[in-house]
Formats: sequence, structure tokens, C-alpha cells
Amino acid sequence: MQVQELVSFVPWTFIAQICNLFIQVYLIKRFLFKPVNAMLEKRKAMADAEIQDAAKAKDDAQAMKAEYEQNMRDAKDKANEILSTAQKTAAAQSEEMIREAAQQAAAIKSKAESDIAREKVKAVNEIKDEIGSMAMEIAGKAIGRELHEEDHAKLINEFIANVGEGS
Amino acid sequence: MDIDISGARIFFELPIDLPLLGPLRISETLLVSWLVILVVTGLCMWLTHDLKTENISKRQAVAEMLVEMANNFVVGNMGEKFRYFVPFVAGLFATSVVSNLIGLLGLRSPTADLATEFAWAVVVFIMITAQKIKVGGVGGYLLDFTKPIPILAPFNVLSELATPIGMAFRHFGNILSGVVINALLYAALAVASSALLGMLPGVLGDVLAQIPILDVGVPAITSVYFDWVSGVLQAFIFCMLTVMFIANAAAEE
Repeated sequence: MQVQELVSFVPWTFIAQICNLFIQVYLIKRFLFKPVNAMLEKRKAMADAEIQDAAKAKDDAQAMKAEYEQNMRDAKDKANEILSTAQKTAAAQSEEMIREAAQQAAAIKSKAESDIAREKVKAVNEIKDEIGSMAMEIAGKAIGRELHEEDHAKLINEFIANVGEGS
Repeated sequence: MDIDISGARIFFELPIDLPLLGPLRISETLLVSWLVILVVTGLCMWLTHDLKTENISKRQAVAEMLVEMANNFVVGNMGEKFRYFVPFVAGLFATSVVSNLIGLLGLRSPTADLATEFAWAVVVFIMITAQKIKVGGVGGYLLDFTKPIPILAPFNVLSELATPIGMAFRHFGNILSGVVINALLYAALAVASSALLGMLPGVLGDVLAQIPILDVGVPAITSVYFDWVSGVLQAFIFCMLTVMFIANAAAEE
């Protein structure tokens, strides 16, 4: 079998090896880098999607939290409002009640006063009449004849009025 | 005892004989080169079949690690704009390493043939020159030889041409020296063991002297450097120089 020189340069081998190098580069690109890079790309896309999902979930959670807090605040405000309204209503009602009571008391008092005054007038009049007739009787007895009630009513009344003012 | 250290065997000759190129001979170098391509490609296919985005196998982890290493090596040394260069450097490195290490199987390394390294070095040289012309234009490229002073132009041309020649011979010399030293070592150990066992008396000594018993084991130790370390190192150096020269060519001006 023929052999080459130990250190020799064979042009055909040289050309073939250049071709071999580029074939190898193509094959390594096609069978190692292409699939691995495609896979890495896919993984990166997946990781990105996951991160986006997480960010979205966080946003959602925050929105929910804000909504919840808003609701809480609203509820608190409403409760406060109801409470203050109730307090106001109660205060107004009690005031009203007090006022009404006072009015009623005042009405009762004035009625009582007027009643008293009327009774007093009535009593005075009755007494006047009584005293008038008594006086006429006494006077009649005293002068011996009967005084005519109608005729001397004016006189008697004057007398009684003087007595009333004197008493 | 004769020791014959020769070049690659020539298996057959095709009936093509061009002037300048000579007869087309299919040598051991070419056959083993094709085997190397098959090995590397097969390895790639095996590593990358059934890739998954999560829960990856060890095999896929290795594939990803290799791709990452190639990316880091090229992009780290040359910059982001040379990312398209990654497959070339990776292909060069893989071919070189497997070619160097295939010698361990008893095949003749394609890299023990000067034409192989010369082919690679010339490709790299063309790439370097293309980068320089791309950066400075043809005029700028030619003018570069006259710096710092025009009288140095011949030396600049020489140093430019020394680049591919140096790269080719560095790689070739290291691998060939491994081949030569291994051959010498095997022969020397065979002689030593025949001398040692020949001292045994009678027929026993004559028979045992035919068996190169010392050839078992001892060359494995030297092989650690001459085949493993040197093989990987030279592939790495060749790729490093390729990357550096091209990056420097692109960075000029």
C-alpha cells in the first residue's frame, strides 16, 4: 500500500478538508445550535409568559385589595353616617318631646290658672250675691220695711264693690 | 529493528489527474475525516434529540452547556456582533478535538496530515483578511502594510503570511510529535521487553521475548499528555487564535 510522506502537502486533501470543515460547520449548526437555541428561545418565552402572568396576578390582587379597602371605607363611612343620623334624629326627637311636654305643661298650667281665675270670679260673684241678699235682709230688718231688690240693686252693688275692694 | 513512521496510507486512487492538483488519492486522512464528521454530527443529533423546556435530562444539560460555552467563548472574546461566528468556531473546535482524539482508537488522526491544518488555517486567514478589508477597504488594507514606515512593508507582508503558516504548523507539529513519540515509545518498549524476557533461559525466553509485554500500560501514561492534553489544548489554541485574530482585524481603526 502506498503511503504519503510524513510531512507532505496534498492539494486534493487540502481542498477536501476545506469542504469538510464547512460541511461540519453546517452540520453542527443544523443539529446542535438550531435545536438548542430554538429550545432556549421557547424556554425564555415560557419564562416571560410566567413572569407576565405573575405580574398580572399581582395587579389583580392589588386591585382587589384596593376595592376591598374602598368597600371597607365606604361601609365605615356609611355606619358613621347612620350613627350620626340616628343621633341627630334622637336628639331632635327628644327635643321635640321636651318642647311638646313643656307646651303641654304650659297649656295645662294656663288652663288651670284660667280655671282658678274663673272659679274665683264665680265664687266672688256668689259671695257678692249672698252678701247682697244678706245685706238687704239685714237692712230690711233694720229699717223695717222690705227693700225692693231691683230698685236698690245698684246701691247694693256699689256697696259690695267697696267691700270687695276693701277686703 | 526498523521503525517506520510514515504519512497517511493511500487506500485507492481515482482516475482523476489534474495538473497542479495531481492524482486524486483517497488517503486515510480523508476517510478518517469523514468518520470524524459522522461522529461529531451523530453526537450532536444524539445530544439534541427530544429537547424539553423543563425537567431536562443530563444529555440535554450537556448539549445546553456546550452551546453556552461556545456562545460565551466567541461572544466573550469577539463581542456581540460576532454571534454569527459561533457555529464556525464550534465546528472548528469539534473537528479538531475529535480528529486529535480519534488517534486513541488506533486510527490515524487527520490532524497528523499537514493539508488538514493548512486547509483550516487558510480559511481562517481568508476570514481575517476579509474582516480587515471590510473595516478599512482594500486601500486601507494595503496601506496598513506600510505602517509604521513604508520600508517595513516586506516584513509586514511576511508577518501577515506567517499567521496561517504558524497556526497550521503549530497544530500539525504538536499532533505529529505525539504520533512520532508514541511510535518510538512502542518500538523502544518492544525492544526493551524482548531484551528483558530474552534473558530467561531456553525456549521460554525465546517465546516470551516475542511478546512486547512492556507495551501494555506504559504508553498510556505518556498518552495522557501527547494525546489527551495536547489534543484538546491544540484545538483550543487554534480556535483561540482564530477568534483573536478575527476580532483584532475587526477592531482595527
